[in-house]
Amino acid sequence: MAEITAVSALRAALAAEEAASYGYGVAGAHLSGSRQAAAQQDWEGHNKARDTLTAMIYALGAQPVTAQAFYSLPFPVHDGTSAMALAAYLEDGVTRAYLGVVAISDQRLRDFGALAMQSSAERAAYWRGSTQAFPGLDP
Amino acid sequence: MPDIAPRRRSLLASAATLPLLLAIAGCRSSDAFTGPDPLASRPRPAPDVVTLAAVIAAEESLISLYRTALARDSASVPARDLPALLAQHEQHLTRLRARLIQPPGTATATASPGPSAKASAAAPGRVTIARLRAAERASAASLVRRLATVEPALAQLFASIAASDATHVAALGG
Repeated sequence: MAEITAVSALRAALAAEEAASYGYGVAGAHLSGSRQAAAQQDWEGHNKARDTLTAMIYALGAQPVTAQAFYSLPFPVHDGTSAMALAAYLEDGVTRAYLGVVAISDQRLRDFGALAMQSSAERAAYWRGSTQAFPGLDP
Repeated sequence: MPDIAPRRRSLLASAATLPLLLAIAGCRSSDAFTGPDPLASRPRPAPDVVTLAAVIAAEESLISLYRTALARDSASVPARDLPALLAQHEQHLTRLRARLIQPPGTATATASPGPSAKASAAAPGRVTIARLRAAERASAASLVRRLATVEPALAQLFASIAASDATHVAALGG
């Protein structure tokens, strides 16, 4: 049963990473300079995380979720401000997904989820321009 | 609806007369049980409680460090985001304390705040941004180390606070 729970949590994290990877492609098109470079770096980070999660799910004997060809955006993205808001929104989703991994009883998965949460919370703070008291949790 | 009040009163009366009955019978309360005397000492707190108390103590130390930094108005500590970061630590403390239910009179002195918090509390003199940054980093790492021994919901709260601490490191220029 523990494996099933771990798989579902990892699949949720993978889905969030896939969505973030897609979303950064949209956001990056509306950014320039150092912010575009940051978006590029974060996009690459999400792609790496996606590969890691896929390997972890396979290692548990399960199949990863398939990425969607298209994701609906939570709001229109037409300039740098909305692009940054989208990036923060995506990172919040990733943080919430990894919070589910922290609930798994396996210690290594807990640590993995907690450290991944730190990375996504840091990126969210960068894009939002402010920190939060409880990343991934309801305030 | 049945009237439960008389029954409750009778139970209370029974509890009050129990020592008297035991005294008449020549017994101490401990003689009424075959196992260890449950009244001999305070029960040991559960591991989650000990861990939570330690995390609360560490959070209090971190808040104290921020307050010292703000009170000193030192040139080495620019005001910038410190009040906002302090406010978030106070939110952490409130939520952590809400999770801790202890019997009255139980001190949190049994908790060990960990080496980073001890170091912060021991030397309140000069608080630089670098010191705050190091304390935030140590707090995040300590919270992750404590994930192993707590139930899932508490692990999620610790992980969220650790993530918040990690963003504070970046906000402080780390």
